[in-house]
Amino acid sequence: MIDTPSALWAMLAMAAVTFGLRAVPFLAARWLRHHPLVQRLGRFLPLAIMTLLLVHTLVGSARDNPHGPWAELAAAALAMVLQWFKRQPLLSILAGTALYVVLRNN
Amino acid sequence: MSEQTRTSFKSVLTLSVPVAMGYIPLSAVFGFLFVQAGAPWWLAMVCSVIVYAGAAQFMMVPMLAAGLPVATIAVATLVVNLRHMFYGLSLLHKLPRNPWARWYLVFALTDETYSVLTTLPAHTPAWQMVSVALLNQGWWLLGTLLGALIGAQAQVPLVGLDFALAALFAVLAVEQWRSAHDARPLWVALLSYGAAYALMPQQALLMAIGLSVLAATLLPAPPCAQTHT
Repeated sequence: MIDTPSALWAMLAMAAVTFGLRAVPFLAARWLRHHPLVQRLGRFLPLAIMTLLLVHTLVGSARDNPHGPWAELAAAALAMVLQWFKRQPLLSILAGTALYVVLRNN
Repeated sequence: MSEQTRTSFKSVLTLSVPVAMGYIPLSAVFGFLFVQAGAPWWLAMVCSVIVYAGAAQFMMVPMLAAGLPVATIAVATLVVNLRHMFYGLSLLHKLPRNPWARWYLVFALTDETYSVLTTLPAHTPAWQMVSVALLNQGWWLLGTLLGALIGAQAQVPLVGLDFALAALFAVLAVEQWRSAHDARPLWVALLSYGAAYALMPQQALLMAIGLSVLAATLLPAPPCAQTHT
């Protein structure tokens, strides 16, 4: 059960963190643009962080799944292959999720 | 003038429709899962109005249901949304000077809105950028509402619908991979996660991000990126 007041506090914190992150370049533009390390991180981190989030979410799902990681791997592979060739996020997400739901509910 | 306005309004809609196709089903799954976890429908709407960050909203649902402290949820949000810090860098000169328009666009800088804004030509009028961003958040709210209302009715949830989050990350990772000039972030991420998971499975994500930042700092720059001035 979700407790409404604590959910609201959590959302306010999440809103502040998210807005803060999105605003950083506009507040510290001069410093950021001239800092080679920031530029390097800006090129390196997006792919690294997306990969980490994907792996972490798959590991989390697989730990809740008594039948091992095969459903997670198959569904993620389907979503990735579809996205690579078709470039339609909606199709990739729906197909991957549908395959996973089918595999888990059988 | 009115002809021109109509054409640009059409272009705003054209840019926003693909986002709608992705946002409505995805935010509907968020609304559905949140209500199924025991939240009232309006709380889902509040979340989509003030937080407006897809992956973080998904991640929040099990954390709130488990009663985790606000600080933990805030740190998790920081990790999941860290990439947004770099989005503004390519938009610094593009965003309008009017403070309301500018700061709304900064607030609304999701993955999808960022990619739409970067494709707009230079000197796009402020109202056009704000309209695209508002429309996108409108689709997100519409989907949240639909999902929350369905979630309030449905009795037996299917196991595994929350895999939509993993599928979303898979899609975003593929798009990052497509635009990357360097494969090392991928390998660094996989190795970091392996090491972090072996050492501290509970804090694997945070530790792996720390290791990746360290690697990005220490590794020599890739040959194609040596354009520092």
